Amino acid sequence: MWGLFFTPEDFVQGNSYRIIYLHVPASFLSQSLYAAMAIASVIYLVWRVKLAAYLIISIAPIGAIVTFIALFSGSVWGIPTWGTWWQWDARITSTLILFIMYLGLISLHASFSNYEKADKLLSWLVIVGFVNIPIIKKSVDWWSTLHQSASITLTDKPSIDPSMLYPLIGSIIGFFGLIICLVILSSYVQILKRESTKSWLKDYV
Amino acid sequence: MFDLAFKSIQEAIYMSGHGIYVWSVVAIVVICLVYAFANYNLKIKKLIKKLNESN
Repeated sequence: MWGLFFTPEDFVQGNSYRIIYLHVPASFLSQSLYAAMAIASVIYLVWRVKLAAYLIISIAPIGAIVTFIALFSGSVWGIPTWGTWWQWDARITSTLILFIMYLGLISLHASFSNYEKADKLLSWLVIVGFVNIPIIKKSVDWWSTLHQSASITLTDKPSIDPSMLYPLIGSIIGFFGLIICLVILSSYVQILKRESTKSWLKDYV
Repeated sequence: MFDLAFKSIQEAIYMSGHGIYVWSVVAIVVICLVYAFANYNLKIKKLIKKLNESN
């Protein structure tokens, strides 16, 4: 709301830049969620923590939704800004690959009747697929892309004006909160599904 | 920092011709999030009901 109604109009892009308040949090979270899946995969493969396996398959559909939002908002933003809704440049293509990877992981897990086998295979695939995350992140530096380079980095001063930066940080935190709630709900579904025969769950419910 | 960028609701909706882009993205985000929350809540309710019936 802050970004949509209370920030000034951009000098170059006009009001279309307000998409940034949804596009950037979605893009940031699409990669963060995959990183979280990769961490959970390592935990599952090394220590065999069941909850980590539940977390991987809980995050995947939410990651797919968030990546879809990132792709859709980017495409819509591209129409007034670039004059095209799609360009096969490195950032957009690698993000599309991430979206396909999320869908592939969900389909693969659903195709197994043996959950343990599915969890193991999924964990390995998530770890292998993690190679795409630094590619997405660095794509704008490694290749000549239509997509601009990052406005906010950990090392440099943000190239975005504070009047636009603070609402952006606010929207990232807000979006992060919503997605955490979704991950908790999704994990709850997985626990209810996979532990349904256990007595502790019957006592709990 | 907290000054309204628009003088009227019409101006906020139109956004100098960019409203169609901004609001379509807002709509998709709202639809996706509402669907996800509703879907998970429904699944939880169904699974709890199933568990209670099996008890």
